[in-house]
Amino acid sequence: MAQPFPYTYYACDCFDSNTPLASKRASQLLEEDERDLDPHNPRSNYALYPLEQLLYCEDCQQIRCPRCVAEETINWYCPSCLFEVPSSVVKSDGNRCTRNCFNCPVCTSPMTTNSLDTSGENGAPFILACPYCKWSTVEIGIEMEKSTGISAQLARIANGGRPIPTQKERDKERERKKEMESRRREKDAISPTQDSPTTDGGRDAGNAPSHDDLFSNLSAFYKSQIDTQSPSNPFSQSDINFSSPSAYSRIMSMYSSNSRKHKRNKPAAPRDAGSVLEGFSIHDPSTDAQAIERIKREGWSITLEPSQRLAQTNPNIRFSDDLRPLATLLCTKRSKRCRSCRHILSKPESKITSTRYKIKLLALNHIPRISMRALPPQFAQPASTSNTPFNYNALKSGIPTQFLLHLSNPLFDPIRVTLATPSLTPGRVQSRVTILCPQFEVGANTDVWDDALASSLSPIKHSAHDSGQIEAGKIWDRGRNWTSVVVEVVPGFLNDNNNATGGDDGDDTLNYDEDVLEIPIFVRLEFEADVNVEERGLGDSRGSKGEREKREEAFWTVVGVGRIAEMAL
Amino acid sequence: MSAADRNLGRTRGTTPRVADLASTPETPRTPLGRSTSSIYGSPGGYRTEDEYIVLEIGARFVRGGLPGESTPRCTLSFGPDEQRRAADYRQWDPGHNRERTSRKRGQEWGQDHELYRLDLGRVDLGLVEDKFERAMREAFNKYFVLDTKPRRIMLSLPPKLPHPLMSTLLDVLFGSFQAPSVTLLSAPVLATVAAGLRSALVVDIGWAETLITAVCEYREVHEQRSIRATKLLSEHMAKLLNAALDDEPGVGDSKTDISFEEADEVLTRVGWCKSKPRSNRRTMYFVARTSPILEEFEDAVESPEPTITIPFPRHTPPTELTIPFASLAKPAESALFAPDTALNEFDDNELPLHHLIYRALLSLPMDVRRLCMSRIVITGGGSSLPGLKTRLLAELEALVSQKGWDPVRNYGSASARHEIIMNQKRENLELRNQEGEDKVSESLDPGAPLPPGLQNPEEDPIDAKLSHLALKNVPPTSLVGGVIRGVDTLGPWAGASLVAHHRIKGIVEIEREKYLQHGLQGATKEKEISVVQQRQSMGPGIGMGRGAGDRASWTLGVWA
Repeated sequence: MAQPFPYTYYACDCFDSNTPLASKRASQLLEEDERDLDPHNPRSNYALYPLEQLLYCEDCQQIRCPRCVAEETINWYCPSCLFEVPSSVVKSDGNRCTRNCFNCPVCTSPMTTNSLDTSGENGAPFILACPYCKWSTVEIGIEMEKSTGISAQLARIANGGRPIPTQKERDKERERKKEMESRRREKDAISPTQDSPTTDGGRDAGNAPSHDDLFSNLSAFYKSQIDTQSPSNPFSQSDINFSSPSAYSRIMSMYSSNSRKHKRNKPAAPRDAGSVLEGFSIHDPSTDAQAIERIKREGWSITLEPSQRLAQTNPNIRFSDDLRPLATLLCTKRSKRCRSCRHILSKPESKITSTRYKIKLLALNHIPRISMRALPPQFAQPASTSNTPFNYNALKSGIPTQFLLHLSNPLFDPIRVTLATPSLTPGRVQSRVTILCPQFEVGANTDVWDDALASSLSPIKHSAHDSGQIEAGKIWDRGRNWTSVVVEVVPGFLNDNNNATGGDDGDDTLNYDEDVLEIPIFVRLEFEADVNVEERGLGDSRGSKGEREKREEAFWTVVGVGRIAEMAL
Repeated sequence: MSAADRNLGRTRGTTPRVADLASTPETPRTPLGRSTSSIYGSPGGYRTEDEYIVLEIGARFVRGGLPGESTPRCTLSFGPDEQRRAADYRQWDPGHNRERTSRKRGQEWGQDHELYRLDLGRVDLGLVEDKFERAMREAFNKYFVLDTKPRRIMLSLPPKLPHPLMSTLLDVLFGSFQAPSVTLLSAPVLATVAAGLRSALVVDIGWAETLITAVCEYREVHEQRSIRATKLLSEHMAKLLNAALDDEPGVGDSKTDISFEEADEVLTRVGWCKSKPRSNRRTMYFVARTSPILEEFEDAVESPEPTITIPFPRHTPPTELTIPFASLAKPAESALFAPDTALNEFDDNELPLHHLIYRALLSLPMDVRRLCMSRIVITGGGSSLPGLKTRLLAELEALVSQKGWDPVRNYGSASARHEIIMNQKRENLELRNQEGEDKVSESLDPGAPLPPGLQNPEEDPIDAKLSHLALKNVPPTSLVGGVIRGVDTLGPWAGASLVAHHRIKGIVEIEREKYLQHGLQGATKEKEISVVQQRQSMGPGIGMGRGAGDRASWTLGVWA
């Protein structure tokens, strides 16, 4: 259940002629053994879509769901400030807005920049504040000097106000420290004494290195390791490659005498990283103890919800004062292609603020819309005169209920429809379903005026007095491009003990949503259409003299009728 | 970082063996060239620069991002909310957070939060494919937001993933996302890389099982598994909370059955683990627990006892549970360490973690053990429980100090004899030490030369100098061996990110065309394929650089 009852879902079988290997399994759900679609199967959640979300490939003559299209990004933009981001920036700066757009790390609503200035002239310092949950960067000790370029400022301030070194500064600092260390080690080497205690992990007292620090140190360490391992030996077996200019440098180095001695240096054996500067950190029990102590002291509220933690750029945090404002994720405009034939199915205009599409092949224009509603009560129960609306959320078990199945045709040709449904709905709660008229015709989607002019269509008159005669095999009503038929449903029993005893585990509890009555209906259409596919969608096809061809279309739909009420025993 | 690195993932077939260390075509220490390191090097061959996406797949989460970044761009889970139909927006309904979802019939604890499980008999592979496909679509469209250029994929997988699962995952990556190639890397090796090590004992406390892998020079040489992992832990936590909620006065008398989400949230937010063993004696192995243990070395009892208040908005009626802080450490105790059960009562697949680590170390050869025991890397989702790492290391240390490295667990009737022998040995050693001390007096006695075993070895000045030289460039911490030491890692994803960033080739690299033709069957049976470029004759095709496509055959390596 998703939408209010009643609703209709269409199943896409993700037909793909290109990859026989992968897609076969996806379509197994529907085709194998000609099984009926089971809407309660967990896999059906991935195949069912509302009609509005489906596209239609006119070349393959197939429904295309979000799963069976290939997407191409046209442009990137920030949904908050609607600025377009060029692809090069996306590549270098990542997938987040680099201007002033931030989301609250607690409740995800967009944050505003406020001034903390009390003199009333909106000067520095500035903070980011969430207008919804009142979280602000004050709580993590961050105040900014300017009200613009927030993300650049934030990138330089750690929580608590300490500055974060940039990558370059980090590299420089690392070099400096390394030099110091190696000098110290040389001193040690001259007078080989015991290990100086400071070399143990090289951990600076006080502040443990951050995740980013460790990562960049590690990365630099591996880079240096690779460089020392790279072949400086001219006869290295690995790049005998005379077509490359590197060969010249190698030959040059072979004949130049002064570099020889240098080159012959045997590379040091590869080794582990040895200090924090190389990204190595020994497990420190005190951090564990600190974390436990904090939880004990400050309790539940200081810890983070899993969703809040996973949304952070560094998900390895635990406490609420480690939160960082989240720069808004960029959105993209994407065109969609049919994965099977690579035709474009939808292409939005590239302007960010425009919501129009250049190409949009909707299933709405090709697939009949099916909907279900309860038969108006004056027809269903002639005795009752009550005007209470039908309660879809409380279907009565065991009592036959009539529904109207309404099919409207978006095509410009009349269609012949055949409906099929399993007489008992699959799943735990079995309801009996009968479509009183499974075969019928639906008129073409002609001019709206036709409807008004042609009175000859003679809509079937239903009045209250002949309501007892819902005839099998006859349609209920018909209009210009729509037809409705009656479906009789006997909702099943929720706690059907006779069935349950045969069940495997014997526990009677229903799964979530198992009390929803969903009817799988197989729809098959036959119609004659112009051979020329392209024109069909565009204009009225009656004028064209092209050949007609017979077409067929078949798909499963799932109609959610309502929720079966518990029996009051 | 060298040949061995480039061959990440090369190792054993089904079970890692130490012997694999020797059977590799190149010795691990041979430095292998990178073909352009020279400044004159033409970038020509690298124009078609391979760009990568880095993925890590686990039983409950998929992490994805781009190489060179320190954290993944997204961590996607597979809860019921992620499995809804399109246009099902009930999870945003304000009332949604207030109702408790019950477990589905016939499903195990937390099963609807899993991407896959290793028991393939009960896995709908189609559903795995659907879930993974949807998660990857979200990752690509929402978090990676890349241009249309196809990206190679660096995929971190747990070792020994069953083939049907692997081919399901690969089907999605090749089929729906058109990856030109997928490089498989094994998660323990990547955790080692992300710790800056070459050898390590990787303890991966995962979802369904804890996997201990000994990695030596980037090769897996041994592994041990136990079901004592996060799943069991959260089940125990749920039991604890159920009991606590039932005891709560004023709450309805129906039995509480809290949902997985609630238990998991409590576990990840306020769950913890005592850093010190309750009592070393209790956790030790006894043949039979002979005497009831009277003394309990509890931590100093604080008064008033610290408590934690946990809100349960999904409970009917919504309630807040105040629970002693100490009791939140109990699930970890019982699920991971099981101190109240004698060792002989455990099945092979449910050993407590510290015993599992000890056994893994014990089964390693001495040299490898020396490296591994001082490079214990604890990773995986369960390792974020505060205190757990410290506890594991402390327990292990206690075990080792008590039992040493004697593979015989129980001498049975000979235990008395063994004791005597051990005592004798100890006495001998002491004697010898004493002798050593008053060696001077003894050596004065010319008639009785010391047996060679008791003499001090001759010092070779050249050896000393060489080793000193070798040490010069190596920081002393990276030489440590033989003591229990834990090393932090940034996690397999960061490892994969590093590997991809430095353009290191993996052993298991699967090309799209070949995979689509033959599937996993196309892999050669040989576990080892040399990635060292073979020496070729100088032909016109030589200048092509070492693209990924020039490998004639491919292997599944670890996963074969």
